[in-house]
Amino acid sequence: MKISWKYLQSVLPLENFTPEQVADKLTFAGAEVEGIARMASGDHLVIGKILSCVNHPDSDHLHILQVDEGSEYGVHQIVCGAPNARVGLKVIVAREGANLPKVKIERSTIRGVESDGMCCSLLELGVDAKYLSEAQTSGIEELPEDAPVGESDVLGYLGLDDVIIDFDILPNRPDLYALENIAQEVACLLNLPYKKKEYESPERLEDELLVSSKTPKCPQFDAMRATGLEIAPSPKELSSLLEAEGIRSIDSAVDVGNLVMLLTGQPLNLYDADKLPSQELIVVDDYEGDFLAMDGKTYRLEKGDLVVTSAGVPVCLAGIMTADCARVDSSTKNVLVESANFAYASIRHTSNRLGLSSDSSMRFCKGINPDQASRVEDAAAFYLAKYCHVKSFGSIHSYDTLAHGRKEIRVSLSYINSRLGTSFSLDQVASVLSSDGLEVKEEGETLILGIPSCRIDIEGKADISEEVIRILGYSYVPSTLPFTSLSCQGYTPEQKKEKEIRSFFFGEGVSEVLTYTLVSKKSASCFPYLTDKDPYVLANPMTDEREVVRESLLPSLLEAASYNVARQNKDGAFFEISDVDGKKLTSRRLSFVLFGNKEEQGLLSSRPYDFYDAKGLVQGVLDLLLIQPNRVQIKPWSLGGEEMHPGKSAELTMGKTLLGYFGELHPTCLKKLGLKSAVVGEIDLAALLAMKTSQIKAEAPSKYPSVSRDLAFLIDENVSFEQIQREIKKADKLIESVEIFDLYQGANILFGKKSMAISLTFLDKERTLKDEEIKSLMNKVIALLKQRFGAEVRQ
Amino acid sequence: MDPIQTADSVLNEALDAEKEVKDQNDLSLFYNRFLSKKGKASTLMTLMKEVKAEHKAAFGKKVNEVKASIVSFYEAKKKELEQKELEEKLRKERIDITLPGKGNLLGRKNPFYQIIDEVEDIFVSMGYQIVSGRDVETDHFNFELLNVPKDHPSRDMQDTFYFDAERLLRTQTSAAQAHAMLENAEKTPIKMICPGKAYRRDDDDMTHSHQFAQIEGLVVDKGISLANLKATLELFVKKMFGEKREIRLRSSYFPFTEPSVEVDVSCFSCQGKGCPMCKDTGWIEILGAGMVNPKVLSMCGYDPEVYSGFAFGVGVERVAMLRYGIDDIRRFYQNDVRFLKPFPGK
Repeated sequence: MKISWKYLQSVLPLENFTPEQVADKLTFAGAEVEGIARMASGDHLVIGKILSCVNHPDSDHLHILQVDEGSEYGVHQIVCGAPNARVGLKVIVAREGANLPKVKIERSTIRGVESDGMCCSLLELGVDAKYLSEAQTSGIEELPEDAPVGESDVLGYLGLDDVIIDFDILPNRPDLYALENIAQEVACLLNLPYKKKEYESPERLEDELLVSSKTPKCPQFDAMRATGLEIAPSPKELSSLLEAEGIRSIDSAVDVGNLVMLLTGQPLNLYDADKLPSQELIVVDDYEGDFLAMDGKTYRLEKGDLVVTSAGVPVCLAGIMTADCARVDSSTKNVLVESANFAYASIRHTSNRLGLSSDSSMRFCKGINPDQASRVEDAAAFYLAKYCHVKSFGSIHSYDTLAHGRKEIRVSLSYINSRLGTSFSLDQVASVLSSDGLEVKEEGETLILGIPSCRIDIEGKADISEEVIRILGYSYVPSTLPFTSLSCQGYTPEQKKEKEIRSFFFGEGVSEVLTYTLVSKKSASCFPYLTDKDPYVLANPMTDEREVVRESLLPSLLEAASYNVARQNKDGAFFEISDVDGKKLTSRRLSFVLFGNKEEQGLLSSRPYDFYDAKGLVQGVLDLLLIQPNRVQIKPWSLGGEEMHPGKSAELTMGKTLLGYFGELHPTCLKKLGLKSAVVGEIDLAALLAMKTSQIKAEAPSKYPSVSRDLAFLIDENVSFEQIQREIKKADKLIESVEIFDLYQGANILFGKKSMAISLTFLDKERTLKDEEIKSLMNKVIALLKQRFGAEVRQ
Repeated sequence: MDPIQTADSVLNEALDAEKEVKDQNDLSLFYNRFLSKKGKASTLMTLMKEVKAEHKAAFGKKVNEVKASIVSFYEAKKKELEQKELEEKLRKERIDITLPGKGNLLGRKNPFYQIIDEVEDIFVSMGYQIVSGRDVETDHFNFELLNVPKDHPSRDMQDTFYFDAERLLRTQTSAAQAHAMLENAEKTPIKMICPGKAYRRDDDDMTHSHQFAQIEGLVVDKGISLANLKATLELFVKKMFGEKREIRLRSSYFPFTEPSVEVDVSCFSCQGKGCPMCKDTGWIEILGAGMVNPKVLSMCGYDPEVYSGFAFGVGVERVAMLRYGIDDIRRFYQNDVRFLKPFPGK
């Protein structure tokens, strides 16, 4: 919203204040000022008259002018390129030393001819082009014949000496779309006296006019007749104010409508009474059909749109635009002036659908004062009489289903002070509220407040506390830490564990990334292993890429990997912990992707990530969550699909429940993503965090030494290490552990075989083992490997 | 030759020979020549028979002295050689200590999480609980219970992603407020923060993102005042942005709070002098806050005549962008490893 400084000056004693001070006050009280702009600017200006105009000898478009700048400044020669420069024209001259918005004027020589000053267009004085005609933007400004030559207050003469404060209006303050309410707000913030203008009701003639509404979406509709309009261009005082407010002046009738709307916030609509098919205005919401609006365009109206009809003919798209058939034009003599209340939801809906909005529809959308219809009609009458010389008005015809009456709020001083933490006195509070335009009565410590109808934001006691502190200033609020009785809980065990997991991943060189929750339909169908394949799909997506709520984090993580690889960042390791939601799924996931090489000593010892990196991460998580290896199973991939490499992937399960999966990506999947290699993993973190874990128990190390022996053998390549480990451990309880320390397959090894070396540790906690015993244990293991797996042991 | 002279000459000979010893080989030749069984020092005793009886004792002593001297030459030389060899070995073992260290490079942490972690730590230290809430919400919790009924003009403020008439992606973490209050059956005091993602139908550009994160805070108890909110936010801002930071409150509007304020923090880049970051105002808008609207309290089962509360919300990306000078909100979601590099995971 824009507010004209000159308007404020006309209604408030602002002699001791600058626009900047007012802007500051407004900002802190909630109306954040976006900018302070001058309508036009420039100094060293004077009104001049062109005495002679000859063509420049060295130019096809420049003129050499002799300009009379009045008795004080004399006659000066000016070289001017404007096509409309001619003898006798009164012009705006920027004299030597003038500062214009974009240029400083200095005496100069233009193609050999001396030029002392510049004739200006309004554009050059900084006036927004949208207020100017084509003629005004293509040449110098042509002043009226009676313009006073030598007048140096040119901006004042033009009515362009105004300052515009542009500020944002919060959604709860639609009353500030009215100048008189802004004046009230400024008066209250600066503690200045202010009273809204009162409009006397003119003498009204009884006349016939039917107004009505067939829909609750128009609860109130008033109209009056004004006869004998004289429509002309508006006088400068009116057009300047409108332009300062960002509205283009059209003619005196349209301008009066806009003026009343600007002042009161109530949009008016003017109908040419003689063009109406019948002397009735009836609001309906079931009209369907084409509507030719006054902008010359045809709009398709649907059921639900609010339409003002006359004898069934749509004459106005309510609150938005008049029909072409009922518009006021220069020949109009008699008008009907409408002041109505339309439901904002309906206006917003229609306005959005048709892409049609106006200052009027905007005000309806924000919400209007429901209680000022007759005052608005009186104001309209006042200005129609003033600017359109209307002598005769009809009575106000009214359809009104609204309950009127002043809202009253009772609030105690202690409520206000305890809510704010302040210690204001009753007088302080009462005086602030009264300057805010509220009617204040005191009853002991209680204030009984009459709320002005324009303040639809003030609904209860809490709102009153806001008014008090907003106006007095938040610097009055002291700082007092709250005392609350809640015991300190800190992080929950789950939150702590999650932080530990993140630290573990950082330590493992994996980076924590953030990705989008919304993915494409295609992405959402990938990695379905922990999902229910029933994702939430947006009814109103913005793009196909962001349409579905992911049920797996892997598509987004792989998107991040592809993004990096496409930018020559070939190596990386990412993880993310995030909620996932589906129609039948509410979970939390830990997912990771490792791509390219793992760098352990820069590039010196880098190697490609593989399956075992993923397994290490998963086992690390299980370890720090105190989940013993025997409680879960890591099994070869059995789930098929085109995402995971079937031979280099594993499932993490507990019984039949899938807790996660990890491994290398399927070549088909890699190709789709444009990746050379990638290892991924996804864990149902919610399930892991929910698993019960037992208390850690310490175990004293054995008093007796353990003994280690190594064993190397050739074995069938399909025998897994885990099988060997399990069988050997079963063989004797003195076998403490079986670890692998070498594995080789390839040259010099029989096809289909692998060479494996293991380290066996023997321990008896009761005594020291003897050499013979160890020898016999080794023989037992060797025999077992031969019998069970057909291994060839290397002695 | 007099045996005594012979002994002296052996000693002199050993002295000369010792000087010639250059390595372990020379040293073992030296040993064989003088100290082995047949070495010159060892065989000196055989001359005893040629010594007169009265000189035998003196000769024996002499021989022992000569032998001891030669042994000490030998030992000294041996030690010297060993030392030299060790030095040589150490010299050869020298490595290039400027090569990169081994072990995992520390993973990086998207600065987004750094901000959340810090804010969580600050509020947990003040006794707050961390509540997460979920991304998929209902219209009821996201709007209605927060005093934003259907067709309320402020629904224009946030364009919402809907799944159907009732379900949506939350547009604000404030949705967690209502859950916290309604789920607290005993109506005990609440002191919580809710860090989480929120979504609005904005086109992604440098300053807008359809997905973003907020940290919502809520305190509900008897006797909570705006002064409590101010003190809490002052404490938070000092911990987050430095002890010298100050805050100021400006009136604002949120449907779920009354009064509502915007909170500015004194600029941490220019210390309030004015700079591009604070647009020369000395202040940076950092969060929105207010006293919980009594309507919200009563819809969520708390009697507004008995209880009051405050709430606040901080934009995570905005704080990170201000603190680290990040130019584009999309960087958080791109995860370019070059962007992540300056932020160690900790």
